[in-house]
Amino acid sequence: MFGRKEKPHKVTPAPEQQPQRQPLVDPMASDQLVPLHQPGYYPKFRTLDQQNYWDAATRTLILDRVNNIPPLRFFNLEEALTMQAVAERILPQDDRTESTRIPIVPFLDARLYLNHIEGYRYEDMPSDQDAYRLALRAIDSMSRELHSEPFHALPIQVQEGILQSLHDEKPLAANYLWQQMNLKRFWTMLVADCCAIYYAHPYAWDEIGFGGPAYPRGYMRLEEGEAEPWEADEQRYDWAAPQDTLSDGSGQAPAADSSPRGQAGAH
Amino acid sequence: MQQIKLPPRRFKDSDLIDYAIVGVGSAGGVLLQRLTRAGFKVVGFEAGPFWDTERQWVSDEAGSRNLYWNDLRITGGKDPLALGSNNSGRGVGGGSVHWASFVPRFHPSDFEVYTQDGVGADWPIGYDQIEPYYQLLEREMPVAGPAYYPWGKPHGHPYGPHPMGEVGNVLIRGCTSLGIRVSAGGPVAILSASHGDRPHCIYRGFCIQGCKVGAKASTLVTHVPDAIAHGAEIRDNSMVARISMAKDGRADGLTYFDSDGNEHFQRARAVIVSGYALETPRLLFNSACPGHEQGLANNSGTLGKYLMAQAGNVILGKFDDLIRQYKAPPAHALTEEFYETDPKRGFARGFAVQTVGPLPIAFSKQLIAAKQLWGWGLRREMMDYNHWSPLGLLGEILPWEDNRIELADGKDGRHDARDRFGLPVAQVTFSLKDNDKKLIEYGKNVVMDIMLAAGAKEIVQESRYAHLVGGARMSTTSATGVCDKFGRAWDVPNLFIMDGSVFPTQGSANPGLTIQALAARTADYVISQADAVFSSSKRDMTEPPCRRTLSPPGTFSKGVPHF
Repeated sequence: MFGRKEKPHKVTPAPEQQPQRQPLVDPMASDQLVPLHQPGYYPKFRTLDQQNYWDAATRTLILDRVNNIPPLRFFNLEEALTMQAVAERILPQDDRTESTRIPIVPFLDARLYLNHIEGYRYEDMPSDQDAYRLALRAIDSMSRELHSEPFHALPIQVQEGILQSLHDEKPLAANYLWQQMNLKRFWTMLVADCCAIYYAHPYAWDEIGFGGPAYPRGYMRLEEGEAEPWEADEQRYDWAAPQDTLSDGSGQAPAADSSPRGQAGAH
Repeated sequence: MQQIKLPPRRFKDSDLIDYAIVGVGSAGGVLLQRLTRAGFKVVGFEAGPFWDTERQWVSDEAGSRNLYWNDLRITGGKDPLALGSNNSGRGVGGGSVHWASFVPRFHPSDFEVYTQDGVGADWPIGYDQIEPYYQLLEREMPVAGPAYYPWGKPHGHPYGPHPMGEVGNVLIRGCTSLGIRVSAGGPVAILSASHGDRPHCIYRGFCIQGCKVGAKASTLVTHVPDAIAHGAEIRDNSMVARISMAKDGRADGLTYFDSDGNEHFQRARAVIVSGYALETPRLLFNSACPGHEQGLANNSGTLGKYLMAQAGNVILGKFDDLIRQYKAPPAHALTEEFYETDPKRGFARGFAVQTVGPLPIAFSKQLIAAKQLWGWGLRREMMDYNHWSPLGLLGEILPWEDNRIELADGKDGRHDARDRFGLPVAQVTFSLKDNDKKLIEYGKNVVMDIMLAAGAKEIVQESRYAHLVGGARMSTTSATGVCDKFGRAWDVPNLFIMDGSVFPTQGSANPGLTIQALAARTADYVISQADAVFSSSKRDMTEPPCRRTLSPPGTFSKGVPHF
């Protein structure tokens, strides 16, 4: 069950019963759940509708981002399959219709291929490129060692278990590979990279109610969270992640010192 | 719409120019403007581009990465600093293109931290020496803020304060209910009314992505146009590799790479390095030569040392009501009530609390760090983006000798990393000490108290750092720093260093205003010295007059309230 929550659910299918990449089914009603064009609490808000009010340089850039998906040039086919499965769990989009899913891996591939680094490398880390290659190898080794299958062929909940162990810095297997770099830093880079791509997309702005580009028009309603005339008011509902997911943590203990790469945005 | 045209090249490499300025950012832009107006032949070398803001800047977070120094650097120590977009600019205007533009002054106490608290260092100047330049630069930018600013030495601002966004309201509400004074609507170097041909702010919230509006001050719009009008040359996409030393112990020019990677040598009678806290020490290290084996101007052994960043913890509060943190400038309200040392707190020095306004990508990264989220939990929490309000701690971290910049040249156990020109990059080492940790812990809790008092239902925080200063500090004696109180290198009479790297301590004020004020003061000194800089080794320590005749047009068109 995900998306708009219609009624409470109690039954959780065991992982081995979960279908792979098939539409999720409401376990109570046995109805297939219909993914949404636009998750989030601003159902009628579409930043792209405002594009005539954007400056030309910004409009060109955003439309290029939406319409032109870069080809894979950095990851090989096997790495791309693993990375795709990882990205689908780090930023799951099963609640989005196929045509409104935001591509993550092609933009990550482009970043690594073009060497768009954040301006630094931790002294206990290899290059970003080497870190990704090593990590994808390690994730696949974990999968094969524990489940005799490549990562991308595993059931979702098993994938989530593997990723949760990386998040917890206690990898379930392939320790000899993970020991070659600072796992915490890699995990942070991985999640931050996925976020930097997802939340750069107008569909994600619509989902969270961000107004998007605002030059030359600007904003005039600054206080009390008031919407501009062209923005949408929030319409809250009881949003639910899939009931059996491992990744719907409502937050854990405050983070230690490490911060995500690329700290633009504060002072 | 801004239209600033890069003028054609004026000088040949073989021409003997008066001043070669390395880096046309906050300090370099002001120096270029002043020295050109005073009649010197000046060329500003800038590693990044001269921006065509209407075509090259965008109202978009991901699309603004070119504003930052994203070349490789190595970062380490117990508390490694994030670099790049967090604190390093590239291109004409430098860091002033992407700063949030909070411009509080330093307090008088900042200049004598060692005398007052027995930690850190004293500056070789006092507040009285920099005050006229604060007043001047606040009008040149110009600064919007309250008519009466109560902290440090109280003062007013030439332009009126900005309207509040909801993040500012959160700070005001929380502070007010705890009896903490708060400054609303500034001081920020953002126009609250139009100034000359620059329009006022439109409150779109993309300050850190480069102000396409032209309302936020960067030297690209405040000083560079006037510099160009008076004959300055800017050589953009030109990476300076080395400063050249003649046999007489004086600098005689510099080597730089153009955008095609071709090496050039520009002759100059004097050199000013304004490359900010990492690139300035790096260039001086890379300029090591016979007589300066440990780096140029490093007889004291202090080059690269005493690097500082400010604690920049972001405290995130979640509210039942909508905030929409993306509206209004990220910088629009602050309190300096905790700025000074309070013996009861058990640590030296203090901190400020300021509004911040991360856009979705930056905010998602803060949430990841603060709540350890991924997967559906991350998606869920981000759907509440508009219910979160961030506040920033800005805490003074003291200068420590072993917080430093070195060259990643592969020698003596250092890393080996080069840029595309083959030059070793900067290797940064940073670790907090006891006083810093106590200050951060205390400050963090104060911000959380403010957030709670404002009505937040959930409060989390991310540890991070802001700004970079130090690494080539000014000092009273040649044994304890790299340059004198005017930025003149102790070891090379016609070499100046002028940017954030000269700071001996940093206060808990954003450094931008102080960098520009110091640059204007150094310009006055250099102008007073006239040809002596080019020929004499005599060090005249007389304070120069503060010239009001070298300011850009419109500087004195508005009044400043006095109390």
